[in-house]
Amino acid sequence: MVVETEIIPFFEWLQLAVPFFLTVAVAVAVFALAASYLICAVRYGPLAGGDVVYRVVTTSIKEILQISPRRVFALAWLAIQESVRRRVLVVFAVFLAILLFAGWFLDNSSHDAGKLYLSFVLTATTYLVLLLALFLSVFSIPNDVKSRTIYTIVTKPVRPGEIVLGRVIGFSLVGTVVLLVMGISSYIFVFRSVNHTHEVVLLDDPELVEELPEGERFRTTTEQEHRHVIFEDADGNLATDFRNSHWHPISAEDSPEGTTYSVSPPEGTFTARVPIYGKLSFLDRAGRPASKGVNTGSEWMYRSFIEGGSAAAAIWRFPGITRERFPPEEFPDGIPFEMTLRVFRTYKGDVERGIPGSYVIRNPDKPDIQSSEQIFVAREFYTDRKFIPFELEDEKGNKLDLFEDLVSDGKLELAVKCLDPAQYFGMAQADVYLKADDAPFAMNFVKGYLSIWTQMVLVTGFGVMFSTFLNGAVAMIATLAAIIMGFFTKFVTDVATETVSGGGPIEALIRLLTQKNLVSPLEDTLGNRVAQLLDEGVMFVMVRMGYILPNFRQFDSSDYVANGYNIPWDLALQNLVATFGYLAAVFVAGFFFMKTREVAK
Amino acid sequence: MSATTEAAQAAAPSTPAAPEAIVQTRSLSKTYRDFWGRQKVRALKPLDLEVHRGEIFGLLGPNGSGKTTTIKLLLGLLFPTTGKALVFGKDSSDVSKNERIGYLPEESYLYRFLNAEETLDFYGRLFDMPAEVRKRRTQELIDMVGLNWAKRRQLKEYSKGMTRRIGLAQALINDPELIVLDEPTTGLDPIGTREMKDLIIKLRDEGKTVLMCSHLLADVQDVCDRIAILYQGELKELGRVDSLLKVDEVTEVRARGLSEEAKSEIREVIQRHQGELLSLDNPSTTLEELFLRIVRESEERPGARPQ
Repeated sequence: MVVETEIIPFFEWLQLAVPFFLTVAVAVAVFALAASYLICAVRYGPLAGGDVVYRVVTTSIKEILQISPRRVFALAWLAIQESVRRRVLVVFAVFLAILLFAGWFLDNSSHDAGKLYLSFVLTATTYLVLLLALFLSVFSIPNDVKSRTIYTIVTKPVRPGEIVLGRVIGFSLVGTVVLLVMGISSYIFVFRSVNHTHEVVLLDDPELVEELPEGERFRTTTEQEHRHVIFEDADGNLATDFRNSHWHPISAEDSPEGTTYSVSPPEGTFTARVPIYGKLSFLDRAGRPASKGVNTGSEWMYRSFIEGGSAAAAIWRFPGITRERFPPEEFPDGIPFEMTLRVFRTYKGDVERGIPGSYVIRNPDKPDIQSSEQIFVAREFYTDRKFIPFELEDEKGNKLDLFEDLVSDGKLELAVKCLDPAQYFGMAQADVYLKADDAPFAMNFVKGYLSIWTQMVLVTGFGVMFSTFLNGAVAMIATLAAIIMGFFTKFVTDVATETVSGGGPIEALIRLLTQKNLVSPLEDTLGNRVAQLLDEGVMFVMVRMGYILPNFRQFDSSDYVANGYNIPWDLALQNLVATFGYLAAVFVAGFFFMKTREVAK
Repeated sequence: MSATTEAAQAAAPSTPAAPEAIVQTRSLSKTYRDFWGRQKVRALKPLDLEVHRGEIFGLLGPNGSGKTTTIKLLLGLLFPTTGKALVFGKDSSDVSKNERIGYLPEESYLYRFLNAEETLDFYGRLFDMPAEVRKRRTQELIDMVGLNWAKRRQLKEYSKGMTRRIGLAQALINDPELIVLDEPTTGLDPIGTREMKDLIIKLRDEGKTVLMCSHLLADVQDVCDRIAILYQGELKELGRVDSLLKVDEVTEVRARGLSEEAKSEIREVIQRHQGELLSLDNPSTTLEELFLRIVRESEERPGARPQ
């Protein structure tokens, strides 16, 4: 799974986020005050205008403090009633229909059916719930204004903020219930679709023996287009091999008629792996340290590549390796680690065959102390599951103890090389990790839905805020624009800070029309200089927009659930706190728009 | 004029020397502008008005004369272009004034998906009223407007008159001191109109102040203590209804059981005093009176054709 930005611990994040939030809030407030004063000064004259702004600000502070929970909940209740009247329940029917069709078209025999099903239901739920939140939130206040029902509201002692807050809370509650029902039905749907079991095939079952190839006599029947080989572990427990991302435990029961075997439902399809990520560094082809590997031509610089058959290596340094963290009783085979490497082929060869590579475990302080080379075969899009045993051997066959000899200060290094000359391995920091633990999947599923919930609440908040001063359709477009901008916040900021080449939007347009490439400088003409000057203004605004708009991609952690990784609590909490930060901002903005507008025509 | 309203007007307290102003406008004006700030309509030219405690004040005028604009400015639904609107001495933009105001809009703009009970309970909650108070008040008002039989029905099933009644109940939920009624009798049948007028007078007798606007002259004449006549956004006339309507040079005599001789004697007396006889005949009752009498009699003796 792609992890582009590192997740920092929650409290560390909070120390950065709170000052940032306050700075932006103050900046926006100052800007808004200045803009309001300018408008009022034009309308009422410089002195009276100042008086108007002062009075609005002071009464607003008073009114925000006077918010009554009873009124807010009355308005929230009204929003819920309105949603029900506007046939919110249709969403359930649509969702059910989607699940039914999905049942036909999704392939539960795929090699990672769990991921397929999970990403499908999570995506479907996200889009449906966000659409629902959008439609509910943007039309409510404009409809009230149009039908003039708002007259009977604002002539009661209702504070403008309560109208905004009531709507946000009401529609969020509706969205929460919808999400809850969808979550539960998705969970059942995914589990039931992927669930299957096999029969054990034995030699003494005369009818099935015919089908068996020579030499194999103990395995399962074929279900969902796959079958398993059965193993017996050291304790005598029976289990199948790991195939299609799952395995089955098998229980045997002896009776006078013979042994009966029963295969349990699949395990390992739904996991929430807790990875320990290391710091990735590289050695170039001559074996000198480098911060990056080779770029094989991809514009996306996420992965770096190392050349095969050379001294080039990718080295991960993992922190926090202690005997307490990995007690041998719980990790009998050693510390598990998982590796998903990219393969870049300079010639095609047999694509079915993987590319051989090797890894060594080494001491970060004394790189000479390292284990013997372990050979593996890397295949595209395939996760290799391996172990670092507690007892290793170096090249000369000397025994090495993992914690005594290789771990230094809780750190351990893993160095990967590609063995095939003329082929490359590609890797990013998150591609190799130690698997510390498996968190409960159900909890992870809930966290995944929590991430959808935060997005739903954000859309609702923005929708209601825009609808306080725009009519329904325009408010919808504005909210959509905010969401789309939010999805590309990083790109917008990158363009604005010239992290990506090609200049600002106007310069980019000139390059597009004149078919110029992105890197060569523009000719020094007057027109171009004017364009670049204008761009600077646009980019100034873009950078500020990037500070204000929510980065929606950051809020979406459904990828974690689908790929079987535990969503770190740090991330979940960050998103939750950020959501409430945005809600506070949206509330204040909505309050002022509502307060300063004429409700009647 | 009906017996009840006459009696009520007679019982109305005479205006004290320095009446307390509940509503004040100070050169209040409103100009509608389009998106670009260009002037479109001058809906209200600078207006100075005072509504005193305990009176029924009527704003009178044809459609588009600025009555509703004035009311919207007073309630803070619109912002004045110039001048000030004060209610209870507070600026119209101050939300807290609404605690003591009840407002019945031109049409009852209520949520059609709620039923009568839910509607009143909802508006009660907007006044931050605790649950027991809301429950009691809701039932009282539903009984008062006579909708007990339909209190569980959604408002979208209501007839126009029923909607109007629940709208009125909604306006009274907080037991307001000032009641603002925008065209209170539109859409009501004669019985409803009469009940509405009786209720307005009853509210005044309870010490409340009523500000209403209407273009139905009969209604205004029947209930209002003072009126202001607006035309094209300008105040044309302001004063007490009885003094405004008094025709000094005409004398009206009404008597019962006069013989023909007595009538001719009266004619002679008028002639002797150089007066001009305008009319001397049997008065016809108003259609309103006739209609109400028929309904009343039908209720007393169902099935029989009224005499």
